[in-house]
Amino acid sequence: MAGYQQRLKCFEDLLEADVIDLKALRNLCFISGCPHEKSIRSICWKIFLNYIPLEKRKWNDVLQKQRNLYKQYIEEIIILPGKKMKSKESANGELEDHPLNPNPDSEWRETFRDNEMLLQIDKDCRRLCPDLSFFQQATEYPCEVLINSSSSVENLRKRVEQCVLQSETVAKNRLGITLNVVSKKRTHSDEYSVLPDGKEAHWEVVERILFLYAKLNPGLNYVQGMNEILGPIYYTFATDPDQNYREHAEADSFFCFTCLMSEIRDFFIKTLDDSQFGIGSKMNQLMEMLKELDRPLWQRLQDQELRPQFYAFRWITLLLSQEFQLPDVLRIWDSLFADSHRFEFLIYICCAILISVRQDILKNDFPSNMKLVQRVESEIDLRQVLAKARELSST
Amino acid sequence: MAKKTYDLLFKLLLIGDSGVGKTCLLFRFSDDAFNTTFISTIGIDFKIKTVELGGKKIKLQIWDTAGQERFHTITTSYYRGSMGIMLVYDITNIKTFDNISKWLRNIDEHANEDVEKMILGNKCDMDDKRQVPTARGEAIAREHNIPFLETSAKANINVEKAFMNLAQAILNKTPGRVSEPNINIGTQDTSARRCC
Ligand SMILES: Nc1nc2c(ncn2[C@@H]2O[C@H](COP(=O)(O)OP(=O)(O)O)[C@@H](O)[C@H]2O)c(=O)[nH]1
Ligand SMILES: [Mg+2]
Repeated sequence: MAGYQQRLKCFEDLLEADVIDLKALRNLCFISGCPHEKSIRSICWKIFLNYIPLEKRKWNDVLQKQRNLYKQYIEEIIILPGKKMKSKESANGELEDHPLNPNPDSEWRETFRDNEMLLQIDKDCRRLCPDLSFFQQATEYPCEVLINSSSSVENLRKRVEQCVLQSETVAKNRLGITLNVVSKKRTHSDEYSVLPDGKEAHWEVVERILFLYAKLNPGLNYVQGMNEILGPIYYTFATDPDQNYREHAEADSFFCFTCLMSEIRDFFIKTLDDSQFGIGSKMNQLMEMLKELDRPLWQRLQDQELRPQFYAFRWITLLLSQEFQLPDVLRIWDSLFADSHRFEFLIYICCAILISVRQDILKNDFPSNMKLVQRVESEIDLRQVLAKARELSST
Repeated sequence: MAKKTYDLLFKLLLIGDSGVGKTCLLFRFSDDAFNTTFISTIGIDFKIKTVELGGKKIKLQIWDTAGQERFHTITTSYYRGSMGIMLVYDITNIKTFDNISKWLRNIDEHANEDVEKMILGNKCDMDDKRQVPTARGEAIAREHNIPFLETSAKANINVEKAFMNLAQAILNKTPGRVSEPNINIGTQDTSARRCC
């Protein structure tokens, strides 16, 4: 494929320069998407998300610094509290405090809140991209300090197990069953086998990143759907052809996710739903755009009361990551990240999707249309949709 | 002209904490299958199933919601239009049961006064991990005068029954009500065919 080789060459030339020509790189990537080869996608995303600067000579320092910072976060947020928990446990056999204690100290209250959050993250990460085996597989680069079985740290996996055990204990106490009955080790449900000590699945790495992010952003915490935003970034970095990038996929994903979230975090905040930057105004923007571009289609949706909340809420919040297979999601994100008004383009894509199924929407009844917009993937040709979105955005 | 394919349309809503099995219950009912690997529901999901009750063809339009607090503003907007609400907890997770009263308050606040309700204790196939005794489920249901069933989406226990009972309760108080004549002008409603 001469065209493909040529495109690859264009990327390589642009990335070879001492100072990256951002405009040219964006343009190339926006129109044609990034190749995965030669780390091109992973480098482009790092640049577009402002994780690494345009001056190439600074990359090493920046990466080194950030990766060290990440180590520090792990130390402060997981290792130190984990050691404390472990020592408390062994001193008392059981944790003396539990959620039904009427006078919990504040430290306990925080731990308890964190545990709740961790359990929610755990649920969502186990079921991340279930069609793809990748997240269930072991990473080549687990976090050694945490998974070493002789380690004196309560890692997140043990913490989740502990929480579940504890809640069983509390429940059985309420039922009047004696404690020692439940001290047997919890067996994991067969659906989600956990890897042996010393190994970590990719989803567990994703879980750790989300937990750290939530702890560092207490105003936001963890909101369901963040896993779907982190997933494609982590996948891209953890499958990088370059071993050195793969090795640091966790830290790099953490920072790129943080950068991306700083732009879209308002979609995740309920109190901002109706503000200028919240999800509500984005959905309105989509409807306004559609009204302008395809009045009959807009009218049809109005008449059927097929509101954007029913489908576009998810499209926009998750940047379309739940609507398509992962390779297509990566392709969409190439364009989103390359666009300098990136989330404007998201609205154009959403609009192009609706327009591309307009014949069906105009013909079908409400339930069929609901099904259609909730599962658009099988009905559309992504390349055409992206071309249409580019056309709409340039006029 | 397309022939009418159903007599009544009922709108149902599934609510409850995240992870209790709402999406699995709905999938079991609509597609008669169990899938352990559902992605988390973000916002709202939607299924259709047409059933027969008392000689009438009833189209059930079922909304599946996300459990986390963040999604409440968008999910509570569906309460109003719902004729039946299925409130689900997980018998292996006491917290999800403790939250039932919170969900009931949500219904009081946002749903129509005459909405039919039903409480489901799901995952009853996992009796060895049970944290909520059946009697406690029955008690809270009795207290609020709401029908109750323990279900398993996985082992296919009581799922059909739960939805049919809820539909029956709605049917019982809608004597002679007929659906709008202009519904279903779509000629190629493949989705409906697949479900029935
Ligand atoms: N054993 C068992 N597991 C179930 C059952 N229903 C759901 N699950 C599991 O519970 C988890 C959450 O289910 P899901 O339907 O996504 O919950 P939702 O968040 O309420 O929609 C999944 O891992 C399912 O496999 C059930 O009846 N029995
Ligand atoms: Mg769900």
